[in-house]
Amino acid sequence: MSRFLFLIPRLGRGVLTIWFAVTVTFLLLRLLPGDPALAIASPNMTEETRAILLKEYGLDQPLIVQYGIYLWQVVQGNLGVSFTQSIPVFDVLMQRLPWTLLLTGTALVTTVAVGIPLGVLAASHRGRFLDRLVQIIGVTGQSIFVPSIGVLFLFVFGLMLGWLPIGGAYDQDAYGLAWYGSVATHLALPALSLMLVQLGSYVLTMRSTLIDALREDYTLLAKANGLPYRRVLWRHALRNALLPTTTLIGLQLGFLVGGAVLTETVFAYPGIGRGIYEAVTQLDFPVLQGAFLALAITVVVANMITDTVYGFLDPRVKKA
Amino acid sequence: MYPRKIALAAAALVASALTLSACAPSAPPAATAVAGSQTLTVATTTDVVNYNPLIGNSRSDYWITNLMYPHLLSIANDGSKVPQVATKWGYVNEKTGFYEIRHDLKWSDGQPLTAEDVAWTMNAVKKDKPSGTFYGQLANLDTATAVSPTRVEFTLTKPDSSVVEEIGFWGNIVPKHVFEKAASVAKFANDGTDGGWVSAGPYKLTKVQVGQSYTLDRVDTYPLISGGTPLSAHVVFRVFPDINTEILALQSGEVDLIANALPPAQVAKLKATSGVTVEESVGLGYAHMTYNMDNPDLAKLEVRQALAHAVDYEAIRKVVLQGQAVSTGSSPLMPVLKDYYDSSITEYDFSTDKSRRLMEKAGYTAGSGGVFPVKFRLIYSLQDSVTSQWATLVKDSAAQAGIVIELQGTERNTYLAKTNKGDFDIYAGNFAIMDDPVTNMTLSYLPGGAINYTHVNDSKLNDLIAQGAATTDKGKKVTLMREAAKIVRDNVYDNIMYTQNLYFAHSSKWTGFVSKPSELLSLVNPVSLAGAHPTGK
Repeated sequence: MSRFLFLIPRLGRGVLTIWFAVTVTFLLLRLLPGDPALAIASPNMTEETRAILLKEYGLDQPLIVQYGIYLWQVVQGNLGVSFTQSIPVFDVLMQRLPWTLLLTGTALVTTVAVGIPLGVLAASHRGRFLDRLVQIIGVTGQSIFVPSIGVLFLFVFGLMLGWLPIGGAYDQDAYGLAWYGSVATHLALPALSLMLVQLGSYVLTMRSTLIDALREDYTLLAKANGLPYRRVLWRHALRNALLPTTTLIGLQLGFLVGGAVLTETVFAYPGIGRGIYEAVTQLDFPVLQGAFLALAITVVVANMITDTVYGFLDPRVKKA
Repeated sequence: MYPRKIALAAAALVASALTLSACAPSAPPAATAVAGSQTLTVATTTDVVNYNPLIGNSRSDYWITNLMYPHLLSIANDGSKVPQVATKWGYVNEKTGFYEIRHDLKWSDGQPLTAEDVAWTMNAVKKDKPSGTFYGQLANLDTATAVSPTRVEFTLTKPDSSVVEEIGFWGNIVPKHVFEKAASVAKFANDGTDGGWVSAGPYKLTKVQVGQSYTLDRVDTYPLISGGTPLSAHVVFRVFPDINTEILALQSGEVDLIANALPPAQVAKLKATSGVTVEESVGLGYAHMTYNMDNPDLAKLEVRQALAHAVDYEAIRKVVLQGQAVSTGSSPLMPVLKDYYDSSITEYDFSTDKSRRLMEKAGYTAGSGGVFPVKFRLIYSLQDSVTSQWATLVKDSAAQAGIVIELQGTERNTYLAKTNKGDFDIYAGNFAIMDDPVTNMTLSYLPGGAINYTHVNDSKLNDLIAQGAATTDKGKKVTLMREAAKIVRDNVYDNIMYTQNLYFAHSSKWTGFVSKPSELLSLVNPVSLAGAHPTGK
């Protein structure tokens, strides 16, 4: 039991972070210069219609009252009703969140699965051709703009070669096991695009930390003791070099979600990123607040998992 | 040992496959093969935001709900209103209008569509004030009554000679027996969660995959199309938020029709693409600039005229619109509306010398650099790529006339808020559809008009518009509106720059699409989707 005590302050920080995200989102939306009534209704609506809409959505109340009502609703698990769709925000989110989790989860796993071995490869061939090649791939990946690579992939793999579908998350007429195949083929290009833009960070971080680890006394001692290079590399140096990469996973999650907005738009993928974009254009405050809350919880939970893993990888962290 | 492990692994694989199959969506019962069992796939750029046609506010909302909830009237390519559910319409007297409707339409649950549905819809919208455009058309409506199963009569609070056609064109009819269960039609989501949708179009919405697709199945009989049966078994709307992806999907054969207007830059390219047909529709909307007359400088006629003469309209139409737009002669009466259009009204000629003379006449003296001591802030939406491009040209040509224009492109919601507050000197933008001159001039040029962005209040113009609204004599109305348009043009109460022709693209394997002269309520006539069919090539 005591080995999990180090999680308690992290849990407290997580709750505080979520409250902060909720508050900042609430305030930022109200600071936007647009008028939700104008975004919802036709621009040629009358003042009377505008007043009715603002009252209906509670936007005629003082800011502090709106905030109090919203916070109380959130505590009760009530995210409100979408301004534009007239359905509960929870339903709106549940239609889209699973697809974003699938996309970002796949991208994250493949990025780590490819990025770490590439980083190890570069570090163990330091200064040689393979190292330079991996560095070029990493730096190029970091400079790629998601929509550009997305359209290029669609053109090549979707139109020219016809190997993969152009958009969506699955085919209309796919059922049973074929449905999973359809989901996988639709997922391939958006996940690949997201993976490519994230890959550089992992490769370059892994490479530099592993190079440092390979210079440490304990690796030199291991080598001097006659341990095979592979064992020194994978068992001793890599385990310590993994710590910054683990931190990076937590940090990159936010960027991954940000990248998903553009990726989902280009690939017509029905995730929450696109939902956020549409809600912004419609100034649908309840949906935006709900979406950011869901994402904040996702990122905080993922960071807590990272922290927990970190704690087990490095026992010093538990004491800190 | 090994065979046992292999057997276990195989059993695990089979179990996994069976579990996964059980979790996946199951196939519907096999449909009976019938002639015309094809699916028409239509690309759209937006999701459906709301399934209630009285509220709808995205393009896909209109396109899909128009296939489900019919209008009394539709619009022809010459801008005239044509029958849909209504067979006859007009006035009993100056304060009472009527519609005669078809007797052979049914809701998808088998209930007949009657005048009671029409009257109830009009009264419910008037009472509950939903945020859509329909409510805006009912300002002068008092009450509607079904006087027989096929005739609706409605009284007006004051004479309004446009209201019959405007209500018939803009309003969808909803089933009373479904919508009356809601406390308010303004808050009714109509999301199909209560046993699906009840509709009366050629297709019925059956399956929604949010963010991805909307599937509609044809109804057995639909009397508004030739033959009485929609030709395609299914119409699927697929959402492609990015226009480039949408075009790739058409080229790859994943979709059959792109029903939104193509960006001007894509038209020529797609026309040259094998297997793709591009069709043109005339425009019934216009791009314009309005000059805020609350600004003391812009309140001077000569300054507005100077600005109007400092724009190279032809260059804008050629370069930015790639020749896909036509001049309206700076008139708010669209060339498409042949009865109203007045060819004697001519466009402001582009002359920076004339602009300079007008500025001097207004009392301004150019400084040493030839620049007049005034500066105007022009707002536009950054989401509107065409306006964003020509705004730059307007700024540059005004600079040649010594007039400084400061561009302020903003995100669309900010732009709308600024427009609404009058927080601009020059407004640049578009009106998607100006189908009825009297209604449009009422909104655009009367004091308090919802889109009177110039803030004009001209007693002679007000009087002409009021007379036009009151008279049911078409000839007299045309004369009044032409006179009003001339006042608008000569006084630069609005600077109408062009009307844009619209283009949509479809696979050459399909034919039968009929266009409408505006993208707002769908560029491709939704009912024509029911008559579209493969060419067989």
